[in-house]
Amino acid sequence: MRNPVIDVAALRCRYGDFEAVRGVDLEVDQGELFALLGTNGAGKTTVMETLEGLRAPSAGRVRVLGVDPHRDRAAIRARTGIMLQESGFPAELTVAEMTRLWRPGDHREALDRLDLGHRRDVRIKQLSGGERRRLDLVLAVLGRPELLFLDEPTTGLDPESRQRTWEVVRELLAEGTTVVLTTHYLEEAESLAHRLAILHEGVVAVSGALVDVLAAQPARISFDLPDRLDVRSLPILTGDVVHEPSGRVDVRTRNLQDDLETLLAWARRDGHALVRLRAHHASLEDVFHAARAGRQVVAA
Amino acid sequence: MITALGLAELKLLVRNRTAAALAFAMPLLFGAFFALSFGDEGWTFAITLQVLSTLGFTVYVTITTSLTSRRQDLYLKRLRTGAASDAVVLTGVVLPAVLLGLVQAVLLVGVSVAAGAQFPSRPDLLALALVGGAAMSCAAGVATSGVTSTAELAQITTGPFFFALLGGGIWAMSSDDIRALLVPGGGVADLVGAAWGGEGRPGWAALSLLAWTAVGCVLSARLFRWDARSQ
Repeated sequence: MRNPVIDVAALRCRYGDFEAVRGVDLEVDQGELFALLGTNGAGKTTVMETLEGLRAPSAGRVRVLGVDPHRDRAAIRARTGIMLQESGFPAELTVAEMTRLWRPGDHREALDRLDLGHRRDVRIKQLSGGERRRLDLVLAVLGRPELLFLDEPTTGLDPESRQRTWEVVRELLAEGTTVVLTTHYLEEAESLAHRLAILHEGVVAVSGALVDVLAAQPARISFDLPDRLDVRSLPILTGDVVHEPSGRVDVRTRNLQDDLETLLAWARRDGHALVRLRAHHASLEDVFHAARAGRQVVAA
Repeated sequence: MITALGLAELKLLVRNRTAAALAFAMPLLFGAFFALSFGDEGWTFAITLQVLSTLGFTVYVTITTSLTSRRQDLYLKRLRTGAASDAVVLTGVVLPAVLLGLVQAVLLVGVSVAAGAQFPSRPDLLALALVGGAAMSCAAGVATSGVTSTAELAQITTGPFFFALLGGGIWAMSSDDIRALLVPGGGVADLVGAAWGGEGRPGWAALSLLAWTAVGCVLSARLFRWDARSQ
């Protein structure tokens, strides 16, 4: 029998008259990284804060590590690590004082791991934005949590710090930690997530395992239509062919290899050059745009 | 954990010069002023004002201001994500102000005694006035922070309770009207007076403090917010 770490059914969250989350179902299994994606205002942070136990749902069932996270916060507090999208530091404390306040101990190694070791005795108000975000992550993982919530952990980080953050997350996953991540960087989700859900206007527009979600979207072939050629002179392909006003041809296909082969054979035989030819499987970005456009994709 | 949070809060208070000056120097200056101005006319009056201004400034205003600014900084929200429970977080953040207020009050009473006031005949009632008054001011501070959106606004929102504290105290000292005990500060003044051999109604005064503390707690539960953004 499956025993998900997070089990959410028909979750609704309301702020006064505005319903930010309108019936969300989620399941997160032990040891996986689950990415919660969506545009600004889609309800990601509201869902996160409900899972973290910081807010009570207006309706629906929420179970985190087997308990109601809002009512039984005491039962899961020590087992979870939370990195909020936005939270403050006392500006006048030093980095070392802050980590000690969070959990007794020296924490030199944890600070070194995110490149903050040399900033131990610096007051937090003197840290850069990226350094604060890394200190945020240090605090969230200090207690070696079983379940880690990361709400936009890499926003505002330089590429190197982002890589470092990903390394830390991968190490935690390897140790068996379950991670729930929100991010605006789709390539981040694509490289880290096992499963994901895309929220749009308070409901789940897409959900499933990353591979299935990507496979559910058609692949694309695109190229500039050779001069003096009509789009009707192209060979017959299995996918949908769209000739854009820019002169570009865009093919959406579920048979990438076959269609590409047909197309290349035709071009070779008739001596056409397919300028700026691109062929690729769907990326998370394609899925994301489809979800925003209101096309429902639910993979198994 | 409470100690760690309390120490951090104390460090923050000391490192913020304005807040530190308000919390440390203000009550002592006022206390010295009251002793010099009213000492000869009646030490009870001076000491009562010393106790009330310490409870008002150091406990009530400091707690309102610091909870509001910690919420504004989203520091309270962060503390909620840590290992400590809500009750522990709140206790840790308010404890330094309560302890500081008690130490200052004792210090000022000591200065008055050294300057010529008698030693209280019922020190137990003085202790009750201080502890009960601190509990009431603390609960009122937590509740007031719930209706205060910025630290600057605390200068206005703390007005009503602060003046009820001083006004109730002065009323209770200057008349026998038992209705003075219905105002915060009345109970504190009555107990301080009784500690120095005044008539007083210690039972009713203690009840008044208890009732105001309970009101403060109920309002805190309804009004207190952890997050600057939500609701």
